[in-house]
Amino acid sequence: MVSVLNTIDTGHEDMIHDAEIDYYGLRLATCSSDNSVKIYDIKNGAHTLLDDLKGHFGPVWQIAWSHPKFGNLLASCSYDRKVIIWKEMQGKWNKYYEYANHDSSVNSVQFAPPEFGLILACGSSDGSISILTYQNETNTWDAKKIPNAHAIGCNAVSWCPAITPEPAFNNTQAQPLVKRLVSGGCDNLVKIWREDGDRWVEENKLEVHSDWVRDVAWAPSVGLNRHVIASCSQDRRVIIWTSDDCQSWNSTVLQTFDDVVWNVSWSLNGNILAVSGGDNKITLWKQSLEGSWQCISDVSKGQGQLTANEQRAL
Amino acid sequence: MAVRWNSEFFIAVEHRDLQANAMAVNNTGTFVLLAGRRYIAIRNLDDIDNDQIKKFPRQSKYEVGSAEWNPTEHHNELCVISSNQRLEVLTWSKGELTQTHSLRAHTRVITDLNWHKTDPNILASCSVDTFIHIWDLRDSRRPSLSLSAIAEATQVRWNNVNNYLLATAHDGDVKLWDQRKGTAPIQYISAHLSKIHGLDWSPSSETYLATSSQDCTVKFFDTNNPRRPDSVLSTNAPVWRARFTPFGNGLVTVVVPQLRRGENSLLLWNTDNRGTPVHTFIGHRDVVLEFEWRQPKTNDNDFQLVTWSKDQTLLVWKIDPFLQKLCGHEPEDTTGEDIMEELTKTSSMKIQPLQQEFSLLNVHIPNLDVIKMDVNKRTCTVRVECNKGTALIQVTFPNTYPHGVPPIFQIAQGSTIDNSLSNQILQTLNHVAQQRVIKNRTCLEPCLRQLVATIEQCNSDSVENKSQFEMNYIETNMFGTFNNTYIPFPRTSGAKFCSVSLLVCFGRAIPPRRANNKVDTPTPRALSALGSNYGSKPRSNSTVTVSSYYYQKPRRSQGQGRHIKAYVVVYDGSNLFFVNKQLGEKYILDGDVGTICKYNANVASTVGRLDLVQAWTLAELVVSPQQAEEDMQWTEHPFGTQLMQSLITYYASQSDIQMAAMLCCIFGKEQETASARKSSLKQFLIPGLLAAGKRWHKSGGSPYHTIPPADVVAEGWVFPLLKSTRSSSLDNLRIEEYVPLPPPKNQGSNLYEYYKLAYAEILHRWGLLYNRAEVLKYMCTPSEQYRGIQFTTECQTCLKSSQSCSCNSCKKLTFNCIICHVSVRGSANCCVICGHGGHTLHMQQWFAKNKICPSGCGCYCLAETAGMFN
Repeated sequence: MVSVLNTIDTGHEDMIHDAEIDYYGLRLATCSSDNSVKIYDIKNGAHTLLDDLKGHFGPVWQIAWSHPKFGNLLASCSYDRKVIIWKEMQGKWNKYYEYANHDSSVNSVQFAPPEFGLILACGSSDGSISILTYQNETNTWDAKKIPNAHAIGCNAVSWCPAITPEPAFNNTQAQPLVKRLVSGGCDNLVKIWREDGDRWVEENKLEVHSDWVRDVAWAPSVGLNRHVIASCSQDRRVIIWTSDDCQSWNSTVLQTFDDVVWNVSWSLNGNILAVSGGDNKITLWKQSLEGSWQCISDVSKGQGQLTANEQRAL
Repeated sequence: MAVRWNSEFFIAVEHRDLQANAMAVNNTGTFVLLAGRRYIAIRNLDDIDNDQIKKFPRQSKYEVGSAEWNPTEHHNELCVISSNQRLEVLTWSKGELTQTHSLRAHTRVITDLNWHKTDPNILASCSVDTFIHIWDLRDSRRPSLSLSAIAEATQVRWNNVNNYLLATAHDGDVKLWDQRKGTAPIQYISAHLSKIHGLDWSPSSETYLATSSQDCTVKFFDTNNPRRPDSVLSTNAPVWRARFTPFGNGLVTVVVPQLRRGENSLLLWNTDNRGTPVHTFIGHRDVVLEFEWRQPKTNDNDFQLVTWSKDQTLLVWKIDPFLQKLCGHEPEDTTGEDIMEELTKTSSMKIQPLQQEFSLLNVHIPNLDVIKMDVNKRTCTVRVECNKGTALIQVTFPNTYPHGVPPIFQIAQGSTIDNSLSNQILQTLNHVAQQRVIKNRTCLEPCLRQLVATIEQCNSDSVENKSQFEMNYIETNMFGTFNNTYIPFPRTSGAKFCSVSLLVCFGRAIPPRRANNKVDTPTPRALSALGSNYGSKPRSNSTVTVSSYYYQKPRRSQGQGRHIKAYVVVYDGSNLFFVNKQLGEKYILDGDVGTICKYNANVASTVGRLDLVQAWTLAELVVSPQQAEEDMQWTEHPFGTQLMQSLITYYASQSDIQMAAMLCCIFGKEQETASARKSSLKQFLIPGLLAAGKRWHKSGGSPYHTIPPADVVAEGWVFPLLKSTRSSSLDNLRIEEYVPLPPPKNQGSNLYEYYKLAYAEILHRWGLLYNRAEVLKYMCTPSEQYRGIQFTTECQTCLKSSQSCSCNSCKKLTFNCIICHVSVRGSANCCVICGHGGHTLHMQQWFAKNKICPSGCGCYCLAETAGMFN
């Protein structure tokens, strides 16, 4: 069902922890335990190294591309407690902003939907979540912190897509967009935060996981007036949370896997979920029309073969 | 009769038949008296083997209220029991119990009695009749002294130090009496708002007493300062009795008997530390009715607590020396104590943090068993298994832990690991503990996790590990390893959907895991699993990295040539989704609806999407006007609209945003008849005719106008002086002329907008900007709320102001050009100051030559307006 488009030998000296392609699907960024972030041009099946970003002094856990309307920005977070936002200027990537106000490893970064402006959320093992907002007028970054968002530590953050509670395409009065984000942490909780004035308030606390929550992903919503969140945990489960009003949430256990689950990622349409975990396997899940979740593909098999081929080639 | 054994109580006797509710222990602690309505029984506590008790039938219709054995040596054979209004003094000698005195003076039921602490003949009793009688057994006919207290008394207690002083409890108050000054109480303490259940004098201090009350507190009073309690101990249940321990500054409490909530334990407290009890005596199955202290051998530290419960069992609890120490009692000689007790002796009470830590400890650590946790001994024993054997580790917590003092780790007996490993473990544990306690943080869980990690690492690095470990241990740490426990274990494989349909995957190359024992263990959750030296001195050859967890030992022999195959694979997942880039590129949206559908059907067939060919053909049939009935539009047709809607809904539910959005566009477009749409489009494209609203809304009054309002607004405000009728008139038209479509499903049409928006984003990501613009033209974006100066015209006949060029009510044109005096329909300019203006062209010509207003009002329009906008 899926075909290999491109295989990139990143040349990282240690394990890769995250990889992401930009908005247009032209560039790939990877980050690794070798403290570096690499950017590749993958246009038309090529893989040209564009830049090797060295600025972190610890393993880099996660990266995130911004929407291109803000320029080519890439955020990275690391064990060295720093968040760095890189910007491309004339083909060169430079440190654009560095945020070092966390007391422990920063585990997750995610840019907000572009409708809100240039905003970055960071989740750290010190238990707090930082919201960095770019101020156009002053050309500065304004940091807001949700202290003690998760006891022990926050492992993942994800933004709610920008849709108004009551869509108003015809009304003259457009309703303000509500900023929400979901986070998961070592307190086994999934929490939903809403911006209320200049504060972030905890709107909901979802309590089903029995071990650390490793990743959360708010599904892109395509018109369907329904919120869907996927969360995965050390307890080897993936849970799908659904809500119509962001107030009451229903949980469905997607599957209990063989090993811990590290990643959940929604497709742009929000109808396919990619799940990966400690067993080095990647599975794709799709909701049938009846509402049950089905595994539609097991990428790891293909990957395994591929890796074997590559090894032979080398 | 049944005997239960427990480490804590060494005598347990059950006497179901006695139904006793009073208990007393004699001064030597040998005999215990149990008294009930039917029997009085005496048991020898020293004779453990003999379970026999001596029962003496007592034919009375009254229960025994309270009983007490004479505490002095002279008359230690005497005991007294209260029975309704009477006191019975019994003599226990030669195995026989005989009644020697009967004291009658109270007129109501006796609530409490108390022997004098030193005088063998003196006894005090109190009653509901408000009197406190002091009896002298040498003259038992009447009380030697009667104290009148007005209120009924519930407790009476002689002072332990002062022979003359006694205290009585009356509801919530305490009265202190001196038997030399018998007329009135010498002191009055307003102790509690609720009823006082128990009263006790300090064993050593003359002025210190404790009251236990229904209000769930125990209050300590210094009689020299009776206004305020010296201290308060709060519990979560009404306190029945609170009595000082004979050693240290301990206190034992029991809850109110009536409260049958399963709380049958006795609590031992240290009065200096009233936050949490020092110990809980658990064993009774029903409420404790009475408890007393016993010291089998005098001048010994062997204190025992004798308790009698409603479950009719008698338990004797041994108070271990460490418990006595916890209550501040320091025995003179400590022989045969282990190290722990040496340590506990040295410092003050710090039991709470440890107890809390133990209770919060997550014992589900893989490969690790917590064998024993003893808050009181401040120890914890754990066992870890590794391929080299078993390690039993005993952790001892000094009293000042965790305030800068780390616990002591010891490899306990029974461990089967070799010396080097045990040294290594101890070093690591001490290191982690030190890191934590420096910050006054507890360290048990981090230590245990570190222990498991160390053992695991030893399992894997069984060949060469020691040198590496030790080296890294000494190195100062860059980030501090202690908090690695809370940093999640790094992801080494993952998949992310990116852009439209790309799936980026990365993972570990094969072989993913080592073949040995690690296969069965689940992936660890925290980074600390990589060992304590993770994060130290980056990139040194010996650093433990994530990869070394998964792969065989990094081949050092190869040196820097070691290459980890870090691949990222990009998959094309477009087959997973219905959206198709080729279709997106080729679909058209401009032109006649029928033509669009036909063309798009062809496009779909070239791509091989026969299903879409059908849908497009169907759409064409639905949308295009029927030849036979030229006048009838499909929207008026009973099936047309619904069919289109269900088609859109179907594709949306399939997440085929492309098709759904395309149909939405067509659906919207079809609202206008094809020809009218064309003409309206032309009108729009000629700027001069833009404000010709009438003609425009004749063309169908669709909300889906074809020019994004953003453009209109921008155009309208190119010049600030330009009269802004365009965008606003457009808005007005939309609101006024909005003809509800056959089923005006607002919700649905909103969704349609979302579909278009989502499809536009997909096109944007594909880089198909032209196609995106085509789709966006069909968007019905919300008209932007106008903020700023608005020009309105006033109708000369109706005198109503209007934002368009014609009056809303009479439809006459409202605004005449100041120069040509003809009504303005198109673009106009006005002076913001004087309000005069007219056709833009005329105004432009006029102000090219003049500076003053054409009306002759004398306003320097250009200069004034420019000044205003600055």
